[in-house]
Amino acid sequence: MFKRIYNLALVFKEYAVLSVLLVVSLILMALGDNAQLRHVRGVATVAFGVVQEQLSFIPRYFGLRGENDILRRMNVDLADEASQLREARQENDRLKKLIGLRESYRYPVIAGKVISKNLTLLRNTITLNVGKFNGVLPHMPVVGDGGLVGIVSSVNDHYSVVRILLNTDFRASAKLERSRVDGILAWDGNNLILGNVAKTLDVMAGDTVITSDYSSTYPPNIRVGVVQEVSEQQGSLFKAVYVSPGVNFVRLEEVFVLLYLPDSERLDLEQPAPQKTRR
Amino acid sequence: MEHYTRSALAVLALLLLQTTFVPFLSIGGFLPDPLLLWVVYVAIRRGQMEATITGFLVGLLQDAVSMQFFGLSALTKTIAGFVAGYFFNDNNTEQTLGSYRFLTILFLSSFVHNIVYYGIFLQGIQDSVFSTMIGFSLATSLYTVVVGVFPMFTFVRKYRFSQSL
Repeated sequence: MFKRIYNLALVFKEYAVLSVLLVVSLILMALGDNAQLRHVRGVATVAFGVVQEQLSFIPRYFGLRGENDILRRMNVDLADEASQLREARQENDRLKKLIGLRESYRYPVIAGKVISKNLTLLRNTITLNVGKFNGVLPHMPVVGDGGLVGIVSSVNDHYSVVRILLNTDFRASAKLERSRVDGILAWDGNNLILGNVAKTLDVMAGDTVITSDYSSTYPPNIRVGVVQEVSEQQGSLFKAVYVSPGVNFVRLEEVFVLLYLPDSERLDLEQPAPQKTRR
Repeated sequence: MEHYTRSALAVLALLLLQTTFVPFLSIGGFLPDPLLLWVVYVAIRRGQMEATITGFLVGLLQDAVSMQFFGLSALTKTIAGFVAGYFFNDNNTEQTLGSYRFLTILFLSSFVHNIVYYGIFLQGIQDSVFSTMIGFSLATSLYTVVVGVFPMFTFVRKYRFSQSL
């Protein structure tokens, strides 16, 4: 094999020498950086690109596996990035709404993130990532983008538990925004009901329910939800007013704790006097 | 060995000539190429292989002196030596050198040399590279051929002298 190549080189030795010397000359030229050389390089790049484009239909079998691996990895990375971007966009939308909400309250607020929730029990709660160190205290109201969420029931240094509307221990004095009809809002385990509404009073489905001035726990005029259904109960003096909460607890992620505490002077005054027990 | 030493000395002398005296012969910016004359002479006298290598070495030397576009003269003079080497005929060396055939070979080699040279040298500098390249190549080649007439007459005289003996 080598002998054949050697013999061939001997026969065409002039061409071999010419080729070697031309290659050496071209290498020497390529080592420089003249304007002409830059132009030639540019032309060569374009020409090479054109040829490469024409030949691109021929698959490069040996590189395909490696290329596939790279593309798969890139695909996973891009999918992950796209997911993060979607998440960021949704979070951005939510936070924009919350900023609008924050500005609508007269009280200072603390932003918190819901880190756990249970919604299937009779006494449902959510846990926030803010606690005493952030200024959160028990009995502070919590609001979300749709309105009232609940009230802080217990707090430690960094976390707090919120008793939400969907809790049988929840009570709030509320009223209808349109007709100013008052009632007591409570959850019976299945529905949020505005109770103590006399049959004669003006209540319609679609009415907005807000916290009332009578509430000693919540500041007035916080949106709670809308009247979903009004039913007359046989043999009762009151209507059953079913309220749909403004907050979607399933999707709730960010909330504000209102730095509002009931007026202790008012509470003291309204506290019933101790009665003497008869023996 | 003596032959190579003489060749080297001749090349150095021609290089010196080209860098000192030849610029004074400029006509319209065009110059003859005495080093190419030497390469063609080697091709006719010693053959294609030696002319190709001589062309490369002479070109390399010229590049080193001019420092303009390193490798370009080496490339073009290698090609010129190779082209001129095609006309090597061991039996008619003196006749070829002492006749118009020498000038024809010189013109052809010079033209190929200059086409390649200007073809690369004018890239990115001139807009109409082709016409400029042809014009420059023709002018430089013709001038080199004109200068080549003088050694040809010398070879003619030498050939006649050798024939008269």
